[in-house]
Amino acid sequence: MKDSEIIERIQGLLGGRVLAITNPSERRIFMTVAPRDLPDAARALRDGLGFAYLATISGVDMGPVFELLYHFANAHTCLSVRTEVPRSDPRVPSVTPVIPGAILYEREIQDMFGIVVEGLSDPRPLILPDDWPPENYPLRKDWKFTRPEERIPGGSS
Amino acid sequence: MLNRLVRWSRKKSPWILHLNSGACNACDIEIVAALTPRFDVERLGVLLKATPRHADVLVCTGPVTRQIKDRIIRIYEQVPDPKFVVAVGACAMSGCVYRGAYNVEGGIDQVIPVDAYVPGCPARPDAILDGVVKLLGKI
Amino acid sequence: MKIQIPIGPQHPALKEPISLRMTVDGEVITDADLRLGYNHRGLEKLAEEKTWIQNIYLTERICGICSHSHATCFVQGVEKLMEIEAPKRGLYIRFLVAELERVHSHLLWLGVAGHEAGFDSFFMYTWRDREVVMDLLEMISGNRVHYAINTLGGVRRDVDDALKGKILGSLDLLRERSRYYLMIGANEPSFTGRLANVGYLSKKDAIDLCAVGPTARASGVAQDVRKDDPYGVYGEVPFEVCTADSCDVLGRTVVRVKELLQSYNIIEFLLRNLPPGPVAVRAPRKAKPGEVVSRYEAPRGENIHYIKSNGTDKPERLKVRAPTLANYAATIKMLKNGFIADIPLIFAAIDPCICCAERTVEVVDARSGEGRVLRFSDLRRAAAARQKNVSRKGDAEWPF
Repeated sequence: MKDSEIIERIQGLLGGRVLAITNPSERRIFMTVAPRDLPDAARALRDGLGFAYLATISGVDMGPVFELLYHFANAHTCLSVRTEVPRSDPRVPSVTPVIPGAILYEREIQDMFGIVVEGLSDPRPLILPDDWPPENYPLRKDWKFTRPEERIPGGSS
Repeated sequence: MLNRLVRWSRKKSPWILHLNSGACNACDIEIVAALTPRFDVERLGVLLKATPRHADVLVCTGPVTRQIKDRIIRIYEQVPDPKFVVAVGACAMSGCVYRGAYNVEGGIDQVIPVDAYVPGCPARPDAILDGVVKLLGKI
Repeated sequence: MKIQIPIGPQHPALKEPISLRMTVDGEVITDADLRLGYNHRGLEKLAEEKTWIQNIYLTERICGICSHSHATCFVQGVEKLMEIEAPKRGLYIRFLVAELERVHSHLLWLGVAGHEAGFDSFFMYTWRDREVVMDLLEMISGNRVHYAINTLGGVRRDVDDALKGKILGSLDLLRERSRYYLMIGANEPSFTGRLANVGYLSKKDAIDLCAVGPTARASGVAQDVRKDDPYGVYGEVPFEVCTADSCDVLGRTVVRVKELLQSYNIIEFLLRNLPPGPVAVRAPRKAKPGEVVSRYEAPRGENIHYIKSNGTDKPERLKVRAPTLANYAATIKMLKNGFIADIPLIFAAIDPCICCAERTVEVVDARSGEGRVLRFSDLRRAAAARQKNVSRKGDAEWPF
């Protein structure tokens, strides 16, 4: 199936919930939805077009919003679904009822950005250490890290 | 007399424990490759052991991540005296590319005292053997 | 009587430190829990402070076994952002090294699987053959691991005719040895008896939990990025996607050996059809603003990088998802309803970018609170002893 056919079928399935859709190169489609429409869009994509495989969820700190991208793929193309979550109220519904394998990726964005994913069955932190101070989200642009002084054994630092 | 025997056997047959503190695995594979028929470290009497209580030499790789720091100190304390630590690879020496990252302490010597350093990214198996032999010469 | 067993993070052989906590009831695992983060080095934040060329060095060191996969995936994405195209000869050399890396990684895994199944001779044989591949890689690039052969716009070194002849000569030796391993894997009853019906993952679970690589292909899901989304030279190189239907560790072994044989064919095709010309083009310092998704089939599964640029010479965001992370959810599913003695085999079967090991396991009795320390070699020996007395795993008599 070519990209243009897939774009038509997506617009047929989701209609007005698709806020924007682009096809910058072969086999890469980017589309935008609102955060509350995410689980329905994921279900329609999985049942209607065969996008059952979620590769990963990436996030970018754009200042006033966090931009989250859900990368889906099937045998013909790779589709990335973009949503924008405001920094003042970072919440997004979980897609694990539709795609059970998404749980690790959602725990990771909780750790790294401080976005609250609603409806997670297991909301523990995934990769930050046990003694990490809370409310420190490493991938936000305004979070800086200064390295402590290094100890050189047997010499002067 | 018994002391001389013990010291001779410690020098001729060191048992090692391999510790990975968050490395990319390249140095770890080169350590295991040192056991394979091409480099064959077992002819020197070196055995790879499972538990810290049996080991003489701790071979460490990797920049120390914050999560594993306490465990390394705990394992170091479990190794019976006299013990020696070899830091293999550029990451274990000073952090290699990861210096300055928020979860990384720097080399192994920020956490436990080190006796020998083997540079390289990754260190070749022959270089690791050379490092262990030089360490034994110091004992 | 429920007992919780912690495994990790220190395991003496290879392994990224990782902590598993199993709840067991007798010998059956009822629940498994994962604690990641021992190997979290903060790479994505570091990458935002380094230029594009420095980031090639950084992405190579994400993993030691599949270092070329990460570097190539990154370079592919950045070349698309900068709108440059590597010349044909450069692409052929890049993917020649990529297939040699796949060969070395699968031979490594075969040895590790043999070691976990108790078959140490197999371990020594496969790693001895792996040394042949390491020598070839050293002749091409100068280092056994972390080849650093990629650069923005092509590759850094060329392959001459003498080297071509040597690689083709070694391929014959490797082919013969791999066919021998396929024969062992399919016919040796003690080996197949140890691997069959262990770590069962049904096709529906493999699709639901988003498994990738040979783990998914052994459950019948024919998913391979080289066929679905051809990048580089895979549009013109003929090869087949290898699958198996048995959904267990034996299926994964068979899939990997078949992929080895396919890789030899690909390497031969690339060498015989190497086009003349330059190996690299000049790349600009800054990349145009934009975003790109780059996918690559690493030996363990699908590797995906998302790169976003804002017009300067440093990336705005680099997101890396390695294939082993995608297989963790499937591993937890496989561990449930398995036996304790199968833990090392199941975990090694997804080919974690952390290879097998001996670990100390501490069994704490929930009621009395006393602990005993078992070594993995004890567990392995106990499993092997039990295997001798049963013809099929499903008919095992419970000792409790």
